[in-house]
Amino acid sequence: MKHLTDQELMKIVQAGDYSPASELYDRHSKWIYNFASRILRNPELAEDATQEVFLRMIRHAHTFKDNASLRTWLYAITSNWCRDYFRRADNQAVKEGDEVLATLQAPFAERPDQRIEQSSTARMVKAALDKLTHDQREAIVLARYHEMSHDEIAKVVGCSVGAVKTRIFRAMESLRNILNPVAPQSVATPVEESPVEETNV
Amino acid sequence: MSDCISLRESMPLLLAEELDPVSRELSHQHIENCPVCAGEWAAIKATWSLLGDLPEEEVPAHVKQRFLQRAGLAAEPAPANVVPFTRRPALKWIAQAAAVVLLVGGAYYAGDYNADRFEPAPLNVERIGERPLDAITPVSLSESRVLNAKALSPDIQGRPNIANVQFVDADASDDQIAVSFDVTSHWTVTGNPKEKSIVRLLSYMLENEEAMTPRSGAMEWVRRTYSDPANADPEIANALAKVLRNDAHEGVRLRAVETLTTLPPEVAVQTRDALIEALKSDPNPAVRLKAVEALARMTSKGDMLDAAMLDTLRAKASQDDENLYVRVKAAEALRNIKPN
Repeated sequence: MKHLTDQELMKIVQAGDYSPASELYDRHSKWIYNFASRILRNPELAEDATQEVFLRMIRHAHTFKDNASLRTWLYAITSNWCRDYFRRADNQAVKEGDEVLATLQAPFAERPDQRIEQSSTARMVKAALDKLTHDQREAIVLARYHEMSHDEIAKVVGCSVGAVKTRIFRAMESLRNILNPVAPQSVATPVEESPVEETNV
Repeated sequence: MSDCISLRESMPLLLAEELDPVSRELSHQHIENCPVCAGEWAAIKATWSLLGDLPEEEVPAHVKQRFLQRAGLAAEPAPANVVPFTRRPALKWIAQAAAVVLLVGGAYYAGDYNADRFEPAPLNVERIGERPLDAITPVSLSESRVLNAKALSPDIQGRPNIANVQFVDADASDDQIAVSFDVTSHWTVTGNPKEKSIVRLLSYMLENEEAMTPRSGAMEWVRRTYSDPANADPEIANALAKVLRNDAHEGVRLRAVETLTTLPPEVAVQTRDALIEALKSDPNPAVRLKAVEALARMTSKGDMLDAAMLDTLRAKASQDDENLYVRVKAAEALRNIKPN
């Protein structure tokens, strides 16, 4: 199956034969796991997200358009899963107060070995990313670590290109202030974030 | 000022090289001429670069397993010869008792051959060889046994090592279940080094490299025992030749050559065969060197080589891509041969 394109493999899945799922997982899981890990900031949650994203890939294969990029589509599913997760966490927090801790895993967790292995710069970058809003973090992560254009990011997160541009700009402003305090403070800018049109995959 | 604000908004696009060529050029011109924006641009670039220090992480392998299992794509068929064990409530106490009794008594019974004359007894060391010779039934070390649970000793002694436990219910309609397992029992076989049975056992052990730990120690023990001409046995030389042929570890093969060279002249033919074969085909030059040195010593003492062996030495002495020292020693071995 290695010689087949993503689109060809997805056609097989769409026809009800799920055997290409393993190959598709091998091709894209690292990207999806790292995206989820940077958004959720918890390796166990990122594992759950990765597993769920590929299960949804199978279940919703019929909605995949054969001229689309599979990776972009998988990022969109991941983005929705993460958003749903935070929404569930928020709802439970409102309903149950502190009991949410017993039912949902806390984000921001790191395995102890990861903490030791990471360089001080990496820890600093992680901490800086943690200070961004969810939307800003998602946009900057896709732009910086997944080399996506603003247009592709807009498709993944379901908003306008203008909104992506604003989010990335704001994110860079915050990160610059956190990571590089010796640089001159930026002039306040009157950029307003565009309304976000949420679309689900 | 509005140019500066507009430029700073576009800096992320400039970084990602998403601006069209004209806008890019205009942006860079502005940065060159505006010290404030130049500082801002430098800081943004440095921040972007710092972000690159976050390493990528590998997906743990179990995530794929879990995904494939949940997708119904992980096929792990059970071995065809094992029936899944289902506990029957009515037989629960029998199953538990049988399992415990089997595990405890298995080690004892592994040392005894005939189930019919088994009498439950504590685990102990049985000295089979001390029975009168005519009472000894040959004991096979590899055997699969089936026995009734009632024949097992209830005493827990010796804590036998068990492995590969399987619960088997071959016929669901009867009231019998079975527990099968491997039990490790420790054997000590005594005998004179000259006895064929001992020689065969040692040869078998030399050929089973995984059983000897450490193998070099076992080889040393063989050298000490069988360098004595009184114990000379060609089977030992043949076993060492097999080690030399098959062992993956060059250190062990080197030790096998050394051990071969200490064997008495009574097994010189087998020793020479093994050394010539090592010289011809061992992939490690150190082993070939050891072998050719031993052959050179043998020829200097007047040992005779047959025509095929001489051909091998000649070939080695003139082989361009052979180790130089091996070639010199092969020539030396040839030179040592005295004319008849």
